[in-house]
Amino acid sequence: MSDFRKLVLRIGLLFGLPWLLLIVIPVLKYQQLKPVAYDKDKDGMDGFYPPANIHRQGQLVYAREGCVQCHSQMIRATNLGLDAWRKGWGQEQADRAPDPVRSNTLRDYLGEPIAFLGIQRTGPDLANAGWRFADRMKVHQSLYAPRSVHEWSTMPSFKHLYVVRVAQGPKSSKALDLPGKFKPDDGYEVVPTAEAEALVDYILSLKKDYPVPGTAPAVAAAKK
Amino acid sequence: MALPAETDIDSLRRAAIDRSVKGPVLFLFTNGAFWLMASTIVGVLSAVKHVFPNFLDESWLWFLQYGRLQPAHLTALVYGWGIQAGLGVALWIMARRTGQELKSGHATLITAGVFWNIAVTLGILGILFGGSTSIEWLEMPKYIWPVLLICFLAFAWPMVGMFARARRPEGFMISAWYMLGACLWFPWIFITANVCLHCLPGLGALGAGISAWYVHALILLFFVPVGIGSAYYFIPKVTGQPIASYQLAKLGFWLLAALGGWSGMQRYMGGPLPAWMPAVGAATGVLMLIPVGVVAWNHHLTTLGKHSHVQTSPSLRFTFIGALFYPVSAVMFALLSTFWTGAHLQFTHAWYGFQIVTIYGFFSMCLFGAIYYIVPRLAGCEWLSVRLIRNHFWFSVYGIGTIVVTSLICGLQQGSDINDPEKWNLGFSNVVENMRPYIVARAVAWGLITWSNIWFLIHLMLMVAGLGRRSAAPTLLPDYDHEDPMQNLTHPSNA
Repeated sequence: MSDFRKLVLRIGLLFGLPWLLLIVIPVLKYQQLKPVAYDKDKDGMDGFYPPANIHRQGQLVYAREGCVQCHSQMIRATNLGLDAWRKGWGQEQADRAPDPVRSNTLRDYLGEPIAFLGIQRTGPDLANAGWRFADRMKVHQSLYAPRSVHEWSTMPSFKHLYVVRVAQGPKSSKALDLPGKFKPDDGYEVVPTAEAEALVDYILSLKKDYPVPGTAPAVAAAKK
Repeated sequence: MALPAETDIDSLRRAAIDRSVKGPVLFLFTNGAFWLMASTIVGVLSAVKHVFPNFLDESWLWFLQYGRLQPAHLTALVYGWGIQAGLGVALWIMARRTGQELKSGHATLITAGVFWNIAVTLGILGILFGGSTSIEWLEMPKYIWPVLLICFLAFAWPMVGMFARARRPEGFMISAWYMLGACLWFPWIFITANVCLHCLPGLGALGAGISAWYVHALILLFFVPVGIGSAYYFIPKVTGQPIASYQLAKLGFWLLAALGGWSGMQRYMGGPLPAWMPAVGAATGVLMLIPVGVVAWNHHLTTLGKHSHVQTSPSLRFTFIGALFYPVSAVMFALLSTFWTGAHLQFTHAWYGFQIVTIYGFFSMCLFGAIYYIVPRLAGCEWLSVRLIRNHFWFSVYGIGTIVVTSLICGLQQGSDINDPEKWNLGFSNVVENMRPYIVARAVAWGLITWSNIWFLIHLMLMVAGLGRRSAAPTLLPDYDHEDPMQNLTHPSNA
């Protein structure tokens, strides 16, 4: 065998091993991953885990706008970071929750073409963002005028997902309620486009902390 | 008179090889330099928008938001400049090192180069105007990757062929090994990542792991081999000393080949992936210190005693700094990889700092060194101005140094802000506010680098147009430590 063939073969084998073990086999095994049914007796609830598919239309807008550049969607285990204890990163919004928010599992992202786990955290984690907002108008306000919510925010304003139009007749029920200098001119109103609505639907659907079947929080939830 | 005749034949053969690859190589360099400049300009804008989102925030400029600019900036850097110019250097080194002329297929290579640039242009416009997939380094719309793959293969195929037909198979050709590796690894990694992420039905969190693997594999198995291969070629070439140790060179290559594919998933440590995946990646990240140390030590031994050439030769000066940045990037990689420090640096700007120190500090600096050596031989004229070369060098070095240092410190700050139990209820105000000065520094640093790149591009275009200095003496930098009587002859602006 010539030196050239030997070299190519060795390079191929050395890279082929991690390629097979780290990528190919896990990908094949992932295809068999299915939702798990809750056990009514043990978990105290019906249905499947994870319970719902993501809102794909909204996720497309999320991808297009590059939200992933600043927002992660992954609660790290408590040995690696404070994520599970940070204010508002789980279901509990006001105070320190009695239990840490659970870290995420492979099944939490079932059915997503790719999970946007994140590149950076310039903004807060969004894995459980669905719990964070009182209503959808608050999400719209954060998207349209981020600095009307937090004066220090460096989030871009996604104005192009909204329409500023002449208000005719009674005020639209969809019109954004903006404070102070963020208000449109008199006689105008700001209404979301379909894309903004989809993005908000997606953000509100992010609740990746539903109980895992058979684990302590699920059993505890059942006892309550 | 055997000796002069032999050297004549040698230089004639070298000239024939150079002539045979001239078109494609100069095409790739010029277009790469253009993308590099574009990338740095977008880098300035992106950093500014990261701190002052109201800057250029007119409603018709909706496509200039950080979430679109940042991927456009990195895509231009990686695909526009990095892979394109890397292919040019790899092609030239492969042809020279194996003693093979590029016999045919010039038109194919130029066509592939043209299509590569069209694809990158469409991809970046796609990102800016709403086609971004938000998969790191694969943000370009789905339909771009097959074009890029075919164009890459059009270049890789003749290179592998040159290696197979090498005139001197008995000789040790470490730089050609690295180039061969890059030619084989890139398509493999690229196809795997794109098929997994674009063609298979959803892979969820595993898909995120694969995208992280792709970024790391591309760094470790394309950018690193091309950068090291180039340094292994030019350090001995310019210092006139053989590579210090063949054993170390071989060891470094095989360790890289063995480790490169395991890394990446540690990016999502503590996340949803099965725990062994990030653990393996983290171990690899630390083990990588060994091949990097081996290569760096070998480069050091090869340069030893000839450091004066670093002063005078532009090629060696850029390569030397690139080779110095290589261990720096490896240390940053290890810090990002271990669970001990990685948990602090995860999801922070330290990640960006690592990408930039590897692609710019290490890879691009090595490539600049190569370009300063190769272009005069292909264009048939010498670099015009010492001042422009020095300008390029110092602005790049200070710019990159600033970005690396500020990104790492910013990462530490950001990590401690995110993980500080005292600040559990502060929202993100502390993170956002403490980050500002570092990002402002980054904008300034990209500004410096843009300045250096504009001149580099102009200088390169003049050379490619054949408007360089007609002289037998190469353009050398003045040597302040050792006063050189030849200085005035080789430095026209002093004359």
